[in-house]
Amino acid sequence: MLIEVLQILINGVLAGAQLAVPAIGFTAIYAVLRFPNFAIASHMTVGAYAGVLVNTTLGWPAAVALLVAFLAGGLTGVASDTIFLRRLRGSGPLTTAIGAAALGIVLENIVRFVFGNDPRGFDLPVLRDWRVSLGELGRLRIGPQQMEAAGASLIAMAILFGFLGFTRSGRMMRAVADNPMLAGLKGIDAESVARRTNFVGMGLAGFGGMLIGLDTSVDPLTGYRVVLPVFAAAVVGGLGSIPGAVAGAFVVGIGEEFSTLVLDPSYRTAVGFAAILLVLTLRPRGLLGERAL
Amino acid sequence: MTIRIARRTALLGTLATPFLAREGFAQAETIRIGTLTPLTGAGGSYGPAMVKSVRSVVEEVNGAGGVMGRKIELISEDDETNPDAGVRAARKLVDVNRVIAILGTWASAVTTAVAPLCWENKVMLFTVSGGDGITRLPHQGYIIRTQPDSNLQSERAAAFMLKQGVKKVGYLSAQTPFAASIYERHSQVLKAGGAQATGNVIYDATKTSFRSEVDQILKQQPDALFLNSYQPDLLVLLRDLFRAGYDGKRYTLGYAANDALLAALPTEVTDGLISYAPSPDLDGLAYKNVQSVIGPNPDPYSCQTFDHINLALLSIAKAGAATGPAIHDAVRAVGNPAGTLVTGALAGMKLLASGQEINYSGASGPCKFTPIGDISGCKFRFDQVEKGKTKLIELS
Repeated sequence: MLIEVLQILINGVLAGAQLAVPAIGFTAIYAVLRFPNFAIASHMTVGAYAGVLVNTTLGWPAAVALLVAFLAGGLTGVASDTIFLRRLRGSGPLTTAIGAAALGIVLENIVRFVFGNDPRGFDLPVLRDWRVSLGELGRLRIGPQQMEAAGASLIAMAILFGFLGFTRSGRMMRAVADNPMLAGLKGIDAESVARRTNFVGMGLAGFGGMLIGLDTSVDPLTGYRVVLPVFAAAVVGGLGSIPGAVAGAFVVGIGEEFSTLVLDPSYRTAVGFAAILLVLTLRPRGLLGERAL
Repeated sequence: MTIRIARRTALLGTLATPFLAREGFAQAETIRIGTLTPLTGAGGSYGPAMVKSVRSVVEEVNGAGGVMGRKIELISEDDETNPDAGVRAARKLVDVNRVIAILGTWASAVTTAVAPLCWENKVMLFTVSGGDGITRLPHQGYIIRTQPDSNLQSERAAAFMLKQGVKKVGYLSAQTPFAASIYERHSQVLKAGGAQATGNVIYDATKTSFRSEVDQILKQQPDALFLNSYQPDLLVLLRDLFRAGYDGKRYTLGYAANDALLAALPTEVTDGLISYAPSPDLDGLAYKNVQSVIGPNPDPYSCQTFDHINLALLSIAKAGAATGPAIHDAVRAVGNPAGTLVTGALAGMKLLASGQEINYSGASGPCKFTPIGDISGCKFRFDQVEKGKTKLIELS
């Protein structure tokens, strides 16, 4: 039993690392622009497609393809905000959120129109899991590729924290997230900050989308399949809080895996939402509260 | 409520009257048969070929003088893969065109919606839908289906696994309405053959990793796995099984293990995977006829509608009457195992005219039906993946 719990813990941590990057993107956009941008799902898909295309057609290695995925997600995010969502923001967060959901469906179908419904795999071998013997307890298995993906997530998070803490753009984003009016009085241009936030947030979505694509395959629904757990992670951690999104991602990832111990796996999705209900009931601001950007 | 008829509408209606009357006259001479296939909607890629296959038989028979000296008139309607549109189209076929048979309903939801209209009007319904419930409707014999239901498919798949020597089979099933019933039927057949189904892990197909599910099913140490999946989740499952070091047999459904899936995965992950699907009778003469109309690889549904029209016409010739009840009564008699084997309506009608018994064997298979209208003895194909390509290993 102990070995099973350990194995599930490992599976959960790896799943949580996968959710954390797009959850950070989602929560960062919320912190600055104050609306839930559900188009994040299709930006994840766009990033995954960009990654798989440069990997399979140009033969670029996965690490470089991840950068391309970040750029593709980020640039699409800036474009979709400039062309569509910016005009809606004045009409309130609900209108913008609905507009974002609509935009996401349109983007998803553009991807489908261009690339078709068939799944695409990265030009990488699938590796067998490592076996780690724990003596009498039994053996644990750990996927080398999942570890790499988790490592890539950690690096992306570290760079983001550095960016927010030590660069001018990062400090401007934090200032707007903290108090937009005061930031405006200080001469920070809200539109420029919005653009940068969209670039970073949707870039992280594209990055996370490709990490998921590496683990599975890429098709027009790649982002859509995980958008609910990503949303759950951001809400559980406290919408608008980046450390919260990381904590939330691990709570949802580990929680979903642990539920398979007692529940049928078909109920896994419900766990994330039970977590939302529980956290919002006991602690409406989320685990770490908002405004902790 | 008042019904307003604009003058222009009234005028149009009056102008249309002669056309109605002409249909009325034609009725006395021709035998009217309808096709109701999905020309649009989710099944839209299948419908046109299904109709083409029917039309080829009708043209051939009409060219030789028709059935009992009467020409066949084919009326083709679109069910839009939608029960609502299907019922409207069926109403038109039954009430306006007065067809004696409707051929080719595809989606189970459409067939279920259209069926009562058929049996109440004594119109014979030939369908390609696989839903288990369809032939259990109180249809009084007015439904014939050429597609095996999931129950029969399960029996054949489990029997094949037994033949390959499996002992303990674990099941991983996407959450669908059939996940539990398919497992149940499989475990009965396996048990009767001395093997054992070790459990059914029903998973949420939208997840991007099934590591814990895989651990759960492998705990029983099965020597074979049955993956009751669709393409996207099968892709993830196969990767996770490979990573977990599972090297036993893997079985799945033909529609999940398609070429797109094989193209998206490295060959070391897919090699050895066995899939199965109901299959037309690839060596039969009737299948070659369909190939000459549709192309080298006809889909199973156009093979089945080819059989629908042949069965309907042969039944009319056998009964000596062109009515729904006549087809209803004779449709099993044209597949008399003691009779001469025929693969098309023309040859069969000649034999029937000379008073002989016939045994129709069609493009989709032998075309023998159980008392409730289900196909029995349909063929299945089993394919195994080898270096990333499927290879037929058995047709039975």
